[in-house]
Amino acid sequence: MLRYFAIRLFRAVITIAMVVTFAFVVLRMSGDPAILIMGPEVPPEALEAFRKSWGLDQPIWVQYINYFGAILRGDLGMSMRDNRPALDMVLERIPATLALTIPALALKLAIGVPAGVWAALHQGTGFDRAVMVTAVFGFAIPSFILALVLVLIFAVTLGWLPSGGQGGVEHMILPVITMGIGGAAALARFTRSAMLEVLGRPYIRTASAKGLPWASVVRGHALPNAAIPTVTLIGFLVGSLIAGAVVVESVFSWPGVGRMLVVAVGSRDLAVVQVILLLVAATMVTSNLIVDFLYGVLDPRLRQGARAA
Amino acid sequence: MMADIPTRLPLRFLGRPGFTLPRLPWYVWAAFLWISLVLIVAIFAPLIAPHPYTGMKLTNRFLPPFTNWTHPLGTDELGRDVLSRLIVSVRISLLIAFGATVISAVLGTTLGFLAAHFRGWVEQVVLTLADFQAAMPFLILALSVLAFFGNSLPLLIGLMGLYGWERYARVARGLAISANTQGYATAVTQLGAEPQRIYLRHILPNIASTLIVSMTLVFPEVILVESGLSFLGLGVQPPMTSLGNMVGYGRDYITRAPWIMLSPAIVIVLTTLAVSMLGDWLRDRLDPTLG
Repeated sequence: MLRYFAIRLFRAVITIAMVVTFAFVVLRMSGDPAILIMGPEVPPEALEAFRKSWGLDQPIWVQYINYFGAILRGDLGMSMRDNRPALDMVLERIPATLALTIPALALKLAIGVPAGVWAALHQGTGFDRAVMVTAVFGFAIPSFILALVLVLIFAVTLGWLPSGGQGGVEHMILPVITMGIGGAAALARFTRSAMLEVLGRPYIRTASAKGLPWASVVRGHALPNAAIPTVTLIGFLVGSLIAGAVVVESVFSWPGVGRMLVVAVGSRDLAVVQVILLLVAATMVTSNLIVDFLYGVLDPRLRQGARAA
Repeated sequence: MMADIPTRLPLRFLGRPGFTLPRLPWYVWAAFLWISLVLIVAIFAPLIAPHPYTGMKLTNRFLPPFTNWTHPLGTDELGRDVLSRLIVSVRISLLIAFGATVISAVLGTTLGFLAAHFRGWVEQVVLTLADFQAAMPFLILALSVLAFFGNSLPLLIGLMGLYGWERYARVARGLAISANTQGYATAVTQLGAEPQRIYLRHILPNIASTLIVSMTLVFPEVILVESGLSFLGLGVQPPMTSLGNMVGYGRDYITRAPWIMLSPAIVIVLTTLAVSMLGDWLRDRLDPTLG
């Protein structure tokens, strides 16, 4: 058990290190930072001085280690546009993003999981087919199109809700629904197939054959086993609480991290992009770790030290 | 329902005496027809488009669709013909999606084969990279690269070519490892064939159907990601146009001229819907083991 968690923790650290390396490589490949920051018309002596003061004249591996050290100390650079620490700017935007993504996650779970379980238990019925068709459409309609169609109907035509901006609860309805519907469809489809697979297993037949009421079979045998793969997907959804709102925030002009990323990419504000990249990686890795720990709780085989699939 | 599905693919029926249409579910036919239409439009775009896609005529701004024959889908804020722009957009979006899918399939399959052949640390590196790619949201990685490098069409295609490679790598690695233990691979190894020949001439054809199914599952996602990037103004850049790009610029006129953004939106939805339905059907037919 301890070994299992130690391996997971090690992999999480490796993933973060890979993201940092990715940022370093991409940053260095995109051109000479001295020219990028000072501009091409600066005299060579000034560029040389700049390189020296920032350690850019040192071998690349020394730079890499310094870069790592700076990130470990929480020094993530200044925004080139606002001349403020990029980390502070991003952290300020997080509450706005979570205000959308947490209700959206709740909506996905509240609709997706019960719909998937019910569809699997009533396979082949009208409800099952309706869930599957919705899931296929939910996949094929990208969030920006769904968002615009909702705006067209509820803001432009009916005038019930605002088409964007931040304000009261009415401003949150359309973005939350946009994110919730697509996610709920995917979750329902996944839960349904996880549930169907479990229902086909011999131990379900055994449980029924020994005279257990169907409701107990479902509650005691089917649901806990189907929960294991479903938890992975839910973990992924939790991990994308920050990253999942890029498109939707942009459509609804919502001042969150996602919109900030799009603006920063457009204006090539590299420090801000880098902070968001690391933040997203950290959220993803943390939620994956939590999922792995939950596996340990949900799956007794892991507690006895067997290897996870 | 399953019993209705013939055991052969439609292509095998063509050109035979007594040719009859294979009995497929209606939605598979619909998907097939739509994809054919989109492909024809993409290939012959410059010949089909009734107007130049950048041709402006400011006296013709905001013509609603279905009102005259010169501009059947109306015109946009600069008086450009929406139908012509749509046709060119289909071409660009499909070009990116095809290019990216092929790059991703070749890259992923090659890495998967390398992992299966060398095992050991090569395999560990490939698997770690695959885990990394699967764990990070692709949109965020793509946006970071675009922030650092700026934008161009080849870069965009190359970047999108990184989408989904890890799935081919996992599939190819798993299948190659099991193929290596099967008779035919051992036989050609005994006959003295080079590894390259074994993988490309013997193992690849045997696992091709699974890889093709994976491609049909990745392809619509590539269309969605590219259209999302272009919608945000960070993908295909004007004056060039793509489906997502048209929706993005049409958004500003959603109140006054919703048709500018609705027609490309409908094409995106129908195309991803058609490809994924065809993909689901192919998967059920060819390889039910794929998730």
